[in-house]
This record gives sequence, structure tokens and C-alpha cells, in this order.
Amino acid sequence: MVSLGRGVTKAGRKFRTRISEILIFFLPLLFFTAILYFMVTWTIYVSFSNWEGVEPKYDFAGLRWYELMFSLSRTHIDVRNNLIWLIVGVLPTLFIALFLAYFLEIWGARKGESIIRTLILYPASMSFIVTGTIWSWMYQPDKGVINTLLRMLNLSFLESRFITDPATANYWLILIFIWQYLGFAIIILQASFRTTELQEMVEAATIDGAGKLNTLFRIILPNIRGGILILLSLLLISALKVFDIVYIVTFGGPGYSTDVLAFFMYIATFQQHLVALGACLAVIIFVIAFILVIPYTLYALKRWFT
Amino acid sequence: MWKQEKNRRKISRREALSTAGKIAVSVIITGVVAGVGGYYLGSTTAPLATITKTETRTETRTVTVTASPTITATPTPMEERKLEIFHWWTAGGEREAADAMFRVFKQKYPDVQIVENPVAGGGGVSHRVVLQARLAAGLPPDTWQTLGGAELKAYVDGGYLVPIDDLWDELNYANAIPKPLADMVTIGGHRYTVPLNIHIQNILYYDNKVFSELGLKAPTNFDELMNVVKAIKGAKPNIWPLALGTKEKWEAAFVFDAIFLEVAGPEGYVKFYKGLSDPRTDPAFRTALEKLKELQPYIYPYHSGLTWDESCGLVVSGDAAMVTMGTWAIGYFQSRGWSAGKEFGAVTYPQKPERILLGHTDSYGMAKGAPHPRTCRDWLRTVASPEFQIAVDVTQGGLFARLDIDPKEFPDPVRQEMQSYLRSNPGKLILDQHGSIAPFSFTQAYWDVMAAFIVEPNVEKTISDVAALFETYKVKEEAAWYHWGAV
Amino acid sequence: MNKSITKYVLLLVLAIFLLWYLLPLYVVVMTSLKSPIEITQRTYLLPGLELRFENYVEAFKLSHMSIINSSIITGAATAISTFFGGLGGYFLSRFKWKISKPLFVLVVIGMFIPYQAVLIPLVQLMATTRLALTYAGLILSYVLLNVPMASTLMGTFFFGLPKELEESAEVDGASKVQIFFRIVSPVAAPAYVSTAIIIFTQIWNEFLIALTLSTPYTTPITVKLAEIKGSYVALYNLQMAAALISSLIPLTFFLVLQKYFIKGALAGALKG
Repeated sequence: MVSLGRGVTKAGRKFRTRISEILIFFLPLLFFTAILYFMVTWTIYVSFSNWEGVEPKYDFAGLRWYELMFSLSRTHIDVRNNLIWLIVGVLPTLFIALFLAYFLEIWGARKGESIIRTLILYPASMSFIVTGTIWSWMYQPDKGVINTLLRMLNLSFLESRFITDPATANYWLILIFIWQYLGFAIIILQASFRTTELQEMVEAATIDGAGKLNTLFRIILPNIRGGILILLSLLLISALKVFDIVYIVTFGGPGYSTDVLAFFMYIATFQQHLVALGACLAVIIFVIAFILVIPYTLYALKRWFT
Repeated sequence: MWKQEKNRRKISRREALSTAGKIAVSVIITGVVAGVGGYYLGSTTAPLATITKTETRTETRTVTVTASPTITATPTPMEERKLEIFHWWTAGGEREAADAMFRVFKQKYPDVQIVENPVAGGGGVSHRVVLQARLAAGLPPDTWQTLGGAELKAYVDGGYLVPIDDLWDELNYANAIPKPLADMVTIGGHRYTVPLNIHIQNILYYDNKVFSELGLKAPTNFDELMNVVKAIKGAKPNIWPLALGTKEKWEAAFVFDAIFLEVAGPEGYVKFYKGLSDPRTDPAFRTALEKLKELQPYIYPYHSGLTWDESCGLVVSGDAAMVTMGTWAIGYFQSRGWSAGKEFGAVTYPQKPERILLGHTDSYGMAKGAPHPRTCRDWLRTVASPEFQIAVDVTQGGLFARLDIDPKEFPDPVRQEMQSYLRSNPGKLILDQHGSIAPFSFTQAYWDVMAAFIVEPNVEKTISDVAALFETYKVKEEAAWYHWGAV
Repeated sequence: MNKSITKYVLLLVLAIFLLWYLLPLYVVVMTSLKSPIEITQRTYLLPGLELRFENYVEAFKLSHMSIINSSIITGAATAISTFFGGLGGYFLSRFKWKISKPLFVLVVIGMFIPYQAVLIPLVQLMATTRLALTYAGLILSYVLLNVPMASTLMGTFFFGLPKELEESAEVDGASKVQIFFRIVSPVAAPAYVSTAIIIFTQIWNEFLIALTLSTPYTTPITVKLAEIKGSYVALYNLQMAAALISSLIPLTFFLVLQKYFIKGALAGALKG
């Protein structure tokens, strides 16, 4: 380790370098993180306050709103739904993206690859307000796009009640999530495919006569752990924070079957004016995030810092 | 070989990076310049192109009205003639109404610059969000659109609005509008906003073609309604008798209210939403739920995925025959080329045993700490004026707040009739639960329960759920401010 | 024989997948060319009686200012976030200071913060710094919320980068700063690109903060699209047209960045 020495010119130069290192690498990160956490602390504090109504009320109220929150059945439904989102949303996206990214790589650098890769991202380039509306039209049971198409193809038996059926609504919403995030997932995976060593290994394997699938599982997968990790955390975060899809397509309905924590938080804070309750829900989201984050953190810490 | 590759790459990379760096820096600079520029732009008196229509409309109708005196005080040198206003009329007919508002205002006070912040989202859903954040941060506009009722109370309790009793006295507004309407915006004995219209909640719209084909008349109570829906279902099995779209949840409460009002009567209705009657023991509530259960099979089943406008669309497309919606649906139908009295008919429902109008209002008040109080008062005076209400309400789809405006100003017979009725029976107006009597913390959750009921009608569960809601959100205390009749 | 069956099955699966993926786009295009009353008929798959290209003219008039606004805001916020993300990520992965571990944990959790939770304090913060209703305020807000993600994304990438390059440069006497800008960053181009794409999209599509902190001068496109549809009249046709027009910006952005993506490797190594 470099020591902050003084007197000796080489150490002096190291000191100055150290200052510039601090300024450039450390301070900005610290600055932004500090402000962000100031806002997080505010949220945590408000969850213990008495803020209901439009104007801020910061007087201490203890666990009052937590008690209320846990007594509402809606909270429990939300947590269950969020967990469903986490499991059913994240893993399929990962797998589908993996196969598709690999498929695109195999297909090679033909003309138009850029265009294809750009088009893959089109779901993310249109505002969710529009894509959400479109998907709610896709899912309408009587005249919606999917059922109409099935009828046209004489496949009426496949028709579904989609999001108007409380039992299956969540899964149809998750399908939208997958549709939205596939593009990103493919991009990230392709970025990790493109490291030079991996390319060399794959080339070697191909020369040795390994099949495509074999190459995927034996060689590529173990070596893109970093990329998969990034992708996984990105998807987990998006699934935990999901709001837009629920807001536009079902508004939490029918009943509370598609309600999620972030949506309940929005309603509580801004429509019911129960800001403290909203803060409690935000804290629950943090807690779940923390539980999720701990394995990732431990893993990364082990790898990075030992 | 390896190192050579790297060096080659490094050089072209460096070019790439320096270009990227230059781009980044220039973007950042642009951003900062634009940001600073925007900041100053926002505070200079740059002319705002909100008034794009230069119509010279000469009013030929003479309206008998008590003159509203405009007190011309000597202008305080400090205050800019500017009005910062929040509203949610952003597109189509609403946009025209907003433009009409500002046009009339500018006619009366040509020296004012209007800075508007329109936030789309029916009923002010998103508007509420922005307003809450801005108010909490101490950045109020001069005035904002609000529904009156419990929502208004939330702002008053927060100390964000200034009482304007003196303005009301000056304009004699309390005598110009129905008393229940004035009560909607009176909290703790003080007036806080100036209502500019009345939106009626309990209107039944119906497809004229279907009705005349089957020889049906608009139903006036529940029994007639059941007859009508059965007739439609029998004769035209492909059409749903009653359209509904409960995505935003409140639409379900509209249907329930229409039934509940008949069963409970106006006093029962008000008592219920004030938390004075216990859902568990109130026979009206239970009966109304059971009647709704009876109606449920005739309601469009996929309502949880439709918004209110899409449910009205079901009527236009011929998939459904009727829909319960507020007066703002008139604007929707008009945008689809349907006119009231021709393609569709509309009646308030129920009309027996008593014809009651459930309504709420769009109104404007004055913010505490408003940047431009004098201009704001001029605005409020304009809002109360007949010219304003004629221009705005006709376009937007509500009824006039003022009683002294001729109902014939409306182009359609439906609203003419409603306005005349209101004129002769101003006491028949009640604040609806949308607008609302009970606090919003309750109302939101209540809507959820009602929407769930229509999906799966479980009367017992709903009764206990609603009873719990009344307790959890302390409705009795929070709604005590509202009075109607003897309640 | 087996191979061709697998091939057909794969092709079928691919076809269904493409259909599912592209159908929404088709509906958007169809709807944008209709009139409001035709949309009410809910014949989503069929085009209207006439193709109303004038919808696009109208939509463009309504939305072009917002598209410019969004471009400025999103572009600046993405550039700044990615830049600081790179620096921060490098710090987290290379500098083993005592504070690195806790800071890393905080940064990663920081990614999970939902926007709704911080909306109110954010606006209060903006108000006190008098930046509330300006471009700068919006840009700063987005940067605040995205630097954690950028740092983590870049950090994970840097971790996977072998240290030999940097170590040899350090032996040659280069400072960490020089190493970062001259040596590491060029190699990290694919990571920068991916991060930029992700952050750009998140900001471009963000609604709540855009809604609260914008003024009629600075309205981003997400808010504008909601306005175009309107509260009472549901003008979906104009909204869809505007959405298509505005999507050209992010798509162009993605297209332009692809260049830096491909150069990152011995391209074509996987050509079968």
C-alpha cells in the first residue's frame, strides 16, 4: 500500500497523486451516494412519523403505521406478488436472453446486425404509457389482439381471460416484463461474450470440433459469470421496483391480485395522502432488497476483495 | 501478436474515446447552459403561446346577471401581472375549454401573463402527485384546479389555501350558485375556492338506436333498470346491457352509488359516507349490495381491464347498450362524433322516488404564499363570471355553477334539461363520494373493495371490509365538516 | 433426419417468438393511423378505412418540443451518470481502501431505491437549491438516482478485467488517473456502451419525476405523451403516433453506440 509520506520527493509525488485519485475517483461517488442516502434516511424517518395529509408532519409516531401496514391484507398480497415477480420474471428472461444472445452470435456478423440489435431494444424505446396501453389491448378477452388472432387461426381453445382472471393476471404481466427487458439482457450478455479471452477459447473449441450447445454450456457460461451477475441484479431490481406495468395495465386489479409494493406505495402516498404509510412500504422494499443483495454482496466481496 | 493487436486497438480507441469525451463534455455544457437558460426563461416575462386561438366571438345572447363589480385597485409596484396555474385539461375538448378559460381571462385583464402547468390524468390523479410534492417543497403555484370536498379539505388542513370569504361577498357568489355547491367548498365556515362547474356523477347513458329498436325507455329506478337489462339481453344476446370499466376502481363505486342512492335516499346516502351509519347494521347498504349482485351478470365481465373511456367506447362500438358515467363522458362521446340526444341519450339515474343529483365540482382557490395574489384574485373573479362559465362549461361537458345562466346556452337537450332541473331544484344536489365526502384515505380503499365486489359479489365480506375501512380511516371524524340538509 | 425436425421446431418457436415480440409494434402503427372513433371499434389488427398520415403531422407538432427536451435531459444525465459511474466503479474495484467495502454495499443497495420513495425529498432538495423547475434540476435528479447503478455495472466489469495492462503501465510510472483514462477506458468501451444504453432507457422512460419537476418549457416526452392522450378524450391515435416519432431518438442512440460495441473484440471469431 502506498503510504502518505512526507519529506521524500517520491512520497511527495505519491501524496499529490493520491489527492488527485481521491478527488477524481472517490469524491464523486461519495457525494452522490451521500445525497441518495440522505433521502433514504428521510424515508425511513418518515415511516416512523405521523405524516398523513398533504402537509409534512414530522412528529414521532413510533410503529403506528407499521402496525397498520402489517394488519392490511393488501400488504401480504403485495409481498407475495413481488416474490412471484422476482422468481418468475427474472429467471425466464435470463434463460431466453442467453439462448437468443448466443443464437445471434452464431448467426455471425452479417450485414444488418446492428439494425437487429437496435430493433431488439424497441420495446424499451417507447414510453411505458404507450406500451402498457397496447398490452392491455393485446390482453382484452373479447376483442383483444391475441384472442382475435387465435380465433382467426382456428385456435379458439387457446383463448384466455388473461389479466381479467385474478388467478393468472400476474403471469401475463410478467410476460410484458420479459418482453420489455429481453433487449437489455441480450445486450449485456453479448458484451460479456465479447471479451478477447472468451473469444479465443471459443475459437479453440470450434476448431476442436465442439458442438454449438456444448460450447455454450461448457465454455461460455462459466466464463461470463460477471455478465450474468450484472444481468441478474438488474433484473431483480427492476422486478422488485416494478410499477409502470402494473399502473398502466391493471392498476393492481382485478381486486388486489396484481398489486405490488411499489404501486401500493404510490397509492398510499399520493392518493390517500398517507405519506408515513407509503414510507413504511418503501422500507419493506429496502428490506427485501437487502435480503436479496446480501448473497450478491458476499459473493462479490469475496471475489473482489480477497 | 497479442501486444501488436493491443497497440493498434489502443490508438484507434484513443481517438474514439477523445471524440466520446468531447461529445460528453459538450452535452454536459449544453445541459448546464440549457438548465440555467431555462431557469431564467421561466422567470422572465416571455410571452407564452397558450392562447393560440384568435377568435372574435361576439356574444349576442343577453344574459341577465347581477353585475359583478371589478374593483380596480392601484397596482402594487412589486407584483408581476402573472398567474401560475395548475390544471388537468390537456387534450381535445378539455384543451379547448382550458384555452377558453384563458381567453376570457385575458379579455378582462389583458395585461396578465399566464403560466400554466397542465398535468394529464383524469380527475387529477397525476395532478395530485405533482401538487403534493410541490407544496411539500414550498413551491406553490398561485392557484390550482381542485375537486372540492375532502380533497379540498386536505389542502385546507395543510394550510395551503387562503380563505376567500371576502371575495365571495364581493361577488355575492353564495346566492348565485346552489347552496349544496357552496357547501362543497366551505370548510369550517369559510369559503376556499370558486367552483366553475358541476359534474354530475349519476348519469345513465344509453344507445338511442338500441333503445328505439327495442322500444325501451330510459329506466328511472332499479326495477325498471332490471327490466331493461333483461330485455336487452334477451333480444340482443351479443350486446352487454351495461358497460363498465373498473381499471381505475372508482367506476365501480358509480354503479353502486346509483343503486344505493335509491335505496338509502339522500339523507341515508350522506349519513353513510359521513361514517354515521354502520355498514353492518345499515339495511340500505346490504340491500344495495344485493341488488348490485342481481345486476352483475348483465354487466360487461372484462371490466377490470378497461378504463372509463374505454367503457364508454363499448357503447359507441355497439358492444354495450348503457353506461353509468359522469357528465364528462359527454365530451368523450362528442370526440367520437356522437351527439347528445341523437346517437345517445342520457338521464340522471335514479329518478324515483326522488330525483337527486350527485355531483362534484372543478374549482380554483388561492394558494397561501401565492407569488401573485392580486392577479389570482382577478382570476377568481373571472372564474365566477357568467361569460367564463358559458365559454368553458359548454366545451368541457359540465353544468354551469351559476344558476342565472340560461340553460339554452348548452347545444344539447340533455344538459339543457339537467341545468333547468338544477335551477328549479338547487337543493337536490349532493356531494358525491367521488368528489368526495369521506376522506381520500378511505375513498381509495373503498373503491378497491367495490371493484372487487363486482368481480366476485360476496356481500358479507364486502360489508365487513367496508366497516373495517370506516374505522381504520376514521371517517366519522374526517367527514364531519360536510353538511347536507339536516345531516 | 433428426436434425431437420429440430430445425423445423426451432423455426416454429422462433416464428412464434417473433410474432409475440413484434405484434405490439404492429398495433401501435395501426392505431396511429386511425381516427378516434375507429379505435373505439377495437379492430386492432385491421387498418382503418383510410390511413391518416395527418395524425403524424399533428403528433409531431404537439411533441417535437418535448422530444428535444427529453433528448437534452436524458443525454446529459446519461453522459454524466456513465462518466461518474466509470470513475466510481473503478474505485470500487481497484482501490482496496477501508471504506471500499461498506461503500460498495451502500452503492448496490442504492440501486434498489424506487423513485416514488424519494420523490418528495427530492423535490424538497431541488427547491432548496433553487434548481427545481429547470433542466439542471431534472438532470441532477436523474444523475443522483443512476450513479449507483452505473457504478455497479462498471465496477463489475472492471473486476472482470485482468490487471496486467494496468500493472505494466504502473510499473512504467503512470498514475492511476492516467491509466484509467488512457488504458482502461478504451478497453471498457462495451461496458460503457451497455451502461449508457441501460441508463438512457431508464431515464427516457421515467415518468414520475419528470412529471413533478418539469414545467411547460421543459416537458419531457413521457409526460407529453400522457398529455396528448388527454384526460377526457382519449386520443390514442395521436399518442401512438407521437410515441413512434419519439422512439426514433433512443433507437438512433442505440444504433450509434453499436459501433463501439462491435469493435471490442476479434469480430467474427464465432463464425461457424
